[in-house]
Amino acid sequence: MNPLAILLTLSAVLFALGLFAVLTRRNAILVLVGIELMLNAANLNFIGFWRYGPPDPQLTGPMFVLFGIAIAAAEAAVGLAIILMVFRHTRSTDLNAPDSLHG
Amino acid sequence: MISLLILAPLILLAALGAVWKARPVHAALLLALTLSLGGALYIALGAGFLGLVQFMVYVGAVAVLIVFALLITRPRDETEEIARRPKSVLPGLLCTLPLVAVLLYAVGRNVAEPAAEAKELPIERIGELLFTTHAPAVLAVAVLLTAVMLGAALFAREPKSFGVRRLASALGATEELGSPQSADKPAPAFQNPPTTK
Repeated sequence: MNPLAILLTLSAVLFALGLFAVLTRRNAILVLVGIELMLNAANLNFIGFWRYGPPDPQLTGPMFVLFGIAIAAAEAAVGLAIILMVFRHTRSTDLNAPDSLHG
Repeated sequence: MISLLILAPLILLAALGAVWKARPVHAALLLALTLSLGGALYIALGAGFLGLVQFMVYVGAVAVLIVFALLITRPRDETEEIARRPKSVLPGLLCTLPLVAVLLYAVGRNVAEPAAEAKELPIERIGELLFTTHAPAVLAVAVLLTAVMLGAALFAREPKSFGVRRLASALGATEELGSPQSADKPAPAFQNPPTTK
């Protein structure tokens, strides 16, 4: 079987699982878990196309993954900081708990 | 190819656990497992450097950060999650299944048979590119990470600390702003203030 097709299928299902977690979880931290899964699925595609595509001296795919990982780390840090901030006000990480903008 | 066939189902199983487990700590640990298996897959595909970056940044930093956040917030028992699950699964599936169908259809329709030769990610070339072609992007990421670090540190302080003086004292510049009483006072301990609600 075509290895690139296997990789792309894996990536597609991973992305869908992440989306499912984002849509169904109510704990904000676990929503973040879903987002990480989706970012990882995108990275997998870049690696797959680099590995099984034509030779690329500019290494576009791997460089994109490298920067993507950095952005994902920053996003997780800010996301968790915001979640902890909300937790201070509402004493809960439930996404339905914050129902007012008053700080 | 063999390693891909072995790792792909394991990654899917771990991701499924991360999505489905009702207990938050289990989900976070399974996310760490998924990410580390993904790093192993990168190494198997010949991108060893990216695999190690994945281990260090995702497993070492992001997953640990998530576990720490769970420890701090102490989410409630998972019975609530299980109780409301039947209501949320159907809409979730309704939204994700069409996406999976479209993606799998596109993948199954036209993926060219790839070249068979093995590839290895040239690390020297990565370094070269980072310091020439992608130098502006590296600078931008550096600024971003600095901003994120400062922002997260400010967020983690007590809510009333968003003043210029507090910002300055967070940066260690208390003497210049002329607040001697706060210079010799120890920094407030990391603790949650009483609720305002």
